[in-house]
Amino acid sequence: MQPRGLIVIPAFNEEGMIAHVVAAATVQTGFDVLVVDDGSSDRTAERARGAGAGVVTHPFNLGYGCALQTGYRYAHRHGYEVVVQIDADGQHDPADAARLADPILRGEADIVVGCRFFSGSSYTMPPLRRLGVQWLRFLLRSLSGIDLRDPTSGLQALSASVVRLYTSEAFPSDYPDADMFVLLQKAGYRIRELEVRMKERNDARSMHAGIGVLYYSYKMTLAMIMNVLRPAQRP
Amino acid sequence: MQPSIDAEALRLLFEQQANSSSARVVAFVGSLVLAGTILELVRRRRLREEFTPLWMTAAIAILVLGSYYPSLVAVTRLLGAWTPSSTVFFLGLVFLTGISLSYAVRLSKLSTQMKVLAQEVALLKSAAAAGSDGA
Repeated sequence: MQPRGLIVIPAFNEEGMIAHVVAAATVQTGFDVLVVDDGSSDRTAERARGAGAGVVTHPFNLGYGCALQTGYRYAHRHGYEVVVQIDADGQHDPADAARLADPILRGEADIVVGCRFFSGSSYTMPPLRRLGVQWLRFLLRSLSGIDLRDPTSGLQALSASVVRLYTSEAFPSDYPDADMFVLLQKAGYRIRELEVRMKERNDARSMHAGIGVLYYSYKMTLAMIMNVLRPAQRP
Repeated sequence: MQPSIDAEALRLLFEQQANSSSARVVAFVGSLVLAGTILELVRRRRLREEFTPLWMTAAIAILVLGSYYPSLVAVTRLLGAWTPSSTVFFLGLVFLTGISLSYAVRLSKLSTQMKVLAQEVALLKSAAAAGSDGA
């Protein structure tokens, strides 16, 4: 029988949480789980394997996006119908992963994004980052006509076709973000957004902080405009 | 009798002599060509977005300093230089040093990563060979 779903978890030095995240993802979704150990110096790979996940280990740290792409390549090679990417720090609820995969398995969407912002959500973000997200939302709406409330969410489910596109040179140099929606929309992919709950984490780290937010906003703005100018691409 | 030299008048002379419209046109066109080339390279995916901030800063700096001459004079005075042309050369050197340093850092990281990658491939080959021998 052809495998249906794969949970991809990029992990870098997450030995404390990874076994719990893998176990929860396996139980909640029934999908295979792949941990991409991005050159961790701790026992992340060992703990993930012990919890029942498949593990691919990078020889050194290549970054979040590269770890994701390794997962996409694995999924493409093994013929999975849907891939759900979740974070290794335990902030994403694996139950949401199954919900996000559903529209794809039913053939109703090609990419489903987990939205963290909705009335009643306890998820908070520092003001500067929130402003950055609002700017990207505005830019995405202006350039592509897509209105996503949370275009920078890392919790996403992708169809096999999108996974294939992400294994090509269309994949960004660092990691897929709001800019990719411009490309996906141009290529005719169906994009959907579903509300998801984020779990609290005391030592939560963000990829974007301080001056990094400004650089991130600059880079994303440039990348989105460039994707408008690039030809539509579909594998 | 030696003629007396008024240093401030000489400095003003240096500043005003460099104010030519042809130099402004060259700077303006040069900055636009540079910015256009950067954007086209990014669009063709031959230059990664993360490499663009330094180059775009250079293009904008050339545009501003070239189009609005008083800004170049102000920077010249700020740096304590006498002629605007030496300021342009100085800023050019600073930019090239910054670019070289940033590439040296990236190159060092890539060398280390390539070494580790080669070692990993060698170890995997050895493990694969041992596996096929045993089979």
